[in-house]
Amino acid sequence: MSVLARSVGNAFRNKVRSGAVVVILAVAIGLALSMLVANQAVADRITSLKASVGNNLTVNPAGSRGGQGGGEPLTTADVSTAQSVAHVGSVNGALTLRLSSSGTAAASATAQGGGQSGGPGGRAADGTTSLVSAVDPGTLGNRASGSTASNSSATATSGASGGTGAGNTAARAGFSIPIEATGINGSVNAAGAAINIISGAALSDFAGTSAQALVGSTLAAKNSLTVGSTFTVNDRTMTVAGIFDAGTAFDNNAIYLPLVAAQTLTGQTGEISTMSVVVDSIDNVDATKTALASALDSTRVDVTAGSANLDSAIGSLGSVQNISLIGFIAALGTAGLIVLLIMIMVVRERRREIGALKAIGASNRSIGVQFVIEALVLVVMGSVAGAVIASFSSNSIVGALVSSNTSTTTAAGSGRRAALGAAGQAAGQAVGGGTRFQGSGRGAFAGASQLIGTVSTSVGWQTLVLGVVGILVIAALGALIPALLTAKIRPIEVLRGE
Amino acid sequence: MLEVKDVVKAFKSGDHTIKPVNGVTFSVGQGTFAAILGKSGSGKSTLLSLLGALDKATSGDVLVDEVNISKLPDAKLTAYRRDDIGFVFQQYNLIPNLSAKENVMLPMEFAGVSRAERSVRAAELLNQVELTEDMHDRKANRLSGGQQQRVSIARALANRPKLILADEPTGNLDDETGELIIELLRSLSHEKNTTILVVTHDQALTGKTDRKFRLARGKITEITAS
Repeated sequence: MSVLARSVGNAFRNKVRSGAVVVILAVAIGLALSMLVANQAVADRITSLKASVGNNLTVNPAGSRGGQGGGEPLTTADVSTAQSVAHVGSVNGALTLRLSSSGTAAASATAQGGGQSGGPGGRAADGTTSLVSAVDPGTLGNRASGSTASNSSATATSGASGGTGAGNTAARAGFSIPIEATGINGSVNAAGAAINIISGAALSDFAGTSAQALVGSTLAAKNSLTVGSTFTVNDRTMTVAGIFDAGTAFDNNAIYLPLVAAQTLTGQTGEISTMSVVVDSIDNVDATKTALASALDSTRVDVTAGSANLDSAIGSLGSVQNISLIGFIAALGTAGLIVLLIMIMVVRERRREIGALKAIGASNRSIGVQFVIEALVLVVMGSVAGAVIASFSSNSIVGALVSSNTSTTTAAGSGRRAALGAAGQAAGQAVGGGTRFQGSGRGAFAGASQLIGTVSTSVGWQTLVLGVVGILVIAALGALIPALLTAKIRPIEVLRGE
Repeated sequence: MLEVKDVVKAFKSGDHTIKPVNGVTFSVGQGTFAAILGKSGSGKSTLLSLLGALDKATSGDVLVDEVNISKLPDAKLTAYRRDDIGFVFQQYNLIPNLSAKENVMLPMEFAGVSRAERSVRAAELLNQVELTEDMHDRKANRLSGGQQQRVSIARALANRPKLILADEPTGNLDDETGELIIELLRSLSHEKNTTILVVTHDQALTGKTDRKFRLARGKITEITAS
């Protein structure tokens, strides 16, 4: 009988105990492997999140975002300044406009006694278009519009014109959602993401006289436009070069125009409303953000890093990664401790047998090898069972870790956001404004959660290598110390008690 | 040839030093069947452990075929125990989950004997100690006391040792089985020219031996026929 066969036989000399040890080891190793898989999955997710949005910076005029707020517009000179900042890879400037439908503008002008129709939030339209909005105002649109009307009337009370006196929920006759037009300088949108063109081609003529336009899919359907169809923006006839799909009903109710043409058409020559800056490396994002704010004058611009939700998402995932790493080490240590204690018990129990083996000529090495193999048999069986447990449980463990961690952050964040919202609302009311912040907190953190999405597990070579190394550490811990203990047992033990 | 010269083994016990073996000197020729008698606690097992290189003497020399095993390093002591000594214990000390044959093969495995050769020799030895063939593959813990002691004797003979040391070999056996084991050891001693030293407090056993010694208070004296 070989040492291997003898060791395997010895490992199951006490079947009940060995079975119990294998089950306990399987649970510990299974937990360790699950934590390792979770750690790797979360690390991959963090990498992909950072890779997708992590090295983008957005520059807006201070006090303004997405056409809301005030401040001074950015200029093409700012684009040049931004491009000269260290670590800046590329800068993409865009001009966001609001176009009201020609028919609606006329109706509103009559109702309000002049001027172009304002959109929600009170912002005046930058121009008119022959396009009809694909989004129905509904309750939300009319509520925002009505609020504006109320403000207008309050402002106009001291003037000659009497206001419409509409309340917050009153609808103005003939109101329609403005169409957002974005002036761009390439094939990416204002956020620096590629435009998904489903029909036709991207813009190719970026001259001030260009008549090319890209139209959102729902807007094109609403206005029966196809590639080659025409529509007007102010007094210029534009031709549909392509139709894009941005994924949402709101974003598809929009058009893209060549930047210079958009500036020319609306009399905003040289102005841009936002810049998307791509930094050469994720590691340089913070430094570049500071440098950009300094170069462009931090009092006139706001520089934000990528997605507002990214820090929150990466923070949550980072916590999960730490927890899973600690869990992996703790579970592995527990497994090692189980093997160690069991083998110490086995060695103590078989002192006399070890003494007998030494008395009949066994060397310390051959006895040590026998006990190492015995421990390895237990570890291998525990690992196989543990791997099966991990394959079934790792997905749910990752899900539970991610969701519990995200919900904790969300709860804390919601509290802070609710307070901010209440403060904002109070401030807004104090100046007579009606802009509502309610729900903004919930939205922001739900965004982080959406950004994280579903973290799915898979076993890659790194996980396998780390798992095998971890299990070898267990085996080494569990077997070598008892094997060394056997060397200390003297052969005279065989005579003890006789 | 076994020669023991002024061997002392001392233990510290609190403030006192105990000497269970205190200046023991004797010699036994090759092929002798000898017995060391003594009461419990007289130092019989301690002396046996010194002769079998299970423990080291505090002073004195133990020579087996003129090799002083008291001066051998640990690695050589392992080889000495494996090649030159056979042990038979009162509690048999077989590996319980191995068969009778596998137990006998074990010392040969440590000595590097090929698997085929040790299997044949183990079967021969088990037949020699009169363990029937149907018992050869039976697990050690399924054998009776007498059968286990036979396996133990076969294991002691495995590497053809010069000296077999038996510690109370009949201590756990009934009289009849004990008689058979003593007879077996005696015949092996004479047939194989192997020195067999039995440590016992069994007076009946000593009647079958060639020479008898008495150990009392750490001192040994030979009992001669009067």
